[in-house]
Amino acid sequence: MQKGFRKWMWLLLVVPGTLFITVFMLIPLFSILFSTFMAESRFSLENYTRLFTSVYFQQVFGRSVRLSLLSTLLCALLGFPSAYYISRYSRHKGMMMALAVFPMFTSPVIRSFSWMVILGRKGIVNQFLVSVGLFARPQSLLYNEFSMTVGFVQLFLPQMILSLLGVMDSIPGDLTEAAGSLGATRLVAFLRIVFPLSISGLVTGAVLVFTGCMTAYTTPQLLGATDTQVLSTMVYQYAMSLRDWVQASAVAMVMIVVTMLVSHVFNRLSRRINPMAN
Amino acid sequence: MALLEMQNITAGYDRNIILRNFALQVEKGEFVSLLGSSGCGKTTTLRLIAGFSEPSEGRILFDGRDITHVPLHRRNFGFVFQSYALFPHMTVFDNVAFGLKMRRTPRDEMEKRVTEMLSLVDLTGFEKRYPREMSGGQRQRVALARAMVIRPDLMLFDEPLSNLDAKLRVKMRVEIRRIQQELGFTAIYVTHDQEECFAISDKVAIMNRGVIEQMDTPSHIFNRPASEFIARFVGFENFFSLRPGSDGLVTEDGRVMRMPAAEGAGLACIRPEDVEIMAPGEGGENLLPGEVLVTTFLGRNVQYNVRTPIGEFVVKTEQQNGYSIGDRVSLSLRANKIIPIP
Repeated sequence: MQKGFRKWMWLLLVVPGTLFITVFMLIPLFSILFSTFMAESRFSLENYTRLFTSVYFQQVFGRSVRLSLLSTLLCALLGFPSAYYISRYSRHKGMMMALAVFPMFTSPVIRSFSWMVILGRKGIVNQFLVSVGLFARPQSLLYNEFSMTVGFVQLFLPQMILSLLGVMDSIPGDLTEAAGSLGATRLVAFLRIVFPLSISGLVTGAVLVFTGCMTAYTTPQLLGATDTQVLSTMVYQYAMSLRDWVQASAVAMVMIVVTMLVSHVFNRLSRRINPMAN
Repeated sequence: MALLEMQNITAGYDRNIILRNFALQVEKGEFVSLLGSSGCGKTTTLRLIAGFSEPSEGRILFDGRDITHVPLHRRNFGFVFQSYALFPHMTVFDNVAFGLKMRRTPRDEMEKRVTEMLSLVDLTGFEKRYPREMSGGQRQRVALARAMVIRPDLMLFDEPLSNLDAKLRVKMRVEIRRIQQELGFTAIYVTHDQEECFAISDKVAIMNRGVIEQMDTPSHIFNRPASEFIARFVGFENFFSLRPGSDGLVTEDGRVMRMPAAEGAGLACIRPEDVEIMAPGEGGENLLPGEVLVTTFLGRNVQYNVRTPIGEFVVKTEQQNGYSIGDRVSLSLRANKIIPIP
């Protein structure tokens, strides 16, 4: 009796989660995937050829990937020094981490509205630029790719910092001391030891940021404009405004494939720098 | 002139001064160990020499040159860490070659020196392995090779063997000593293991609370401890005071103690192994009456704690025909084993 229970217990542990994922994610996902390859009840690539031959879609697709990559790069550039500082030199580690993560406590909607205030024609950035005489009149900083990128970076920088911190904390301090005693300057020790060993955190962070940027909806919707659509706002437009569910599904599929592809590329790159990265 | 000289060193954090007015001299070619319990300042001393931290006061001279503020990457000292600190993302070859790459050594010379060094530590054929694929002893030897390949002016060891099991530790310390004598480098070795440091060193500096209590050859320290602390450290357990009497030195209760040298009024000590235990009335030199308080079986030895008129004595004897608690006994202190403490 007891033994029989043990034998079947794994089922009890695994089945609920698996069932949930299957019913509410896998089945819908595959049914959507299936629907995009159908046209007039026959198998067809028509939905995708129509998408990729559309100049408008090409623009949106390019913008989505470009802005996501750019935001990922900026998050990496901004996040790396912060994470390194927090893990190595900061005395108030807990507080610094809380500060880094703080933006995550407010909703993306509120954060986007804040950017509208900050970047608007009468916002502090414009006021400053005009008052120091850099520009004669306020510039349009809102509802373009610039404001979207700013929003993305602020939205996802904490995830980059957290991923990096997790890895950097596990790098023993004596490795940089060892490198120093062997003749490496601090910079060289950072580049040859700390950087390669942080790569796995950088990749995790980059995948999180990139995926986040690709799928974020409120930020591009509120900080972008109709001429700066990205894939996620396009899905909404197809589904809700044009009621073209099949085309919306095709766009969604493209998003999934691109995200998976880019994650794969990030991983491959990391293995080049640190062959021991998992 | 000493190769390395530390003068008037003060070091530590704001409220927690670890070294104060500290001095150390190391001669060229010497193998010097810093021995002491944790918190005594031995690792702090080593890290100051390496350049991992700077003293708040004092100077460090190397070969007559003031290196107190020379950054660590320009000191050319090899450092072997307790944790080995191997670079996990590099192969054994790249780990060992790291210091040579920093020195822009030409490729073929670098390969030659790395290969030589790996054969010296018996790791030929392991070039392409990663540290995580190796055992503790092998990693330790990689760390050794990596530090030595740069032909350092000074080798620094921070408890390099304490993560190895006992058998390997003995093997590795012989190995380190062999390589040191083969290459002739000067070494400073930090450890808390007394046996290890006595076996490996030309000189031992015993540290206590940020001060070197005694620095001397192992045999001198073992046979002529300079203070009660050192004496306790190297296994003396019986201490008693002596004062001059009419017939040489006498104990507190007036018993005459024969010693090889008549000088040495003050504190004296003797090891438990050098005290003989016998039935009352038997003959011997420097006799003390006593009563057995505790007996402890130690395998090869039996240890007796004995109450005497001048304090409790610890006696270790190989004789198994034992005495039991409460027995009246007589202790004989062998004259040439009584050590006066200056």
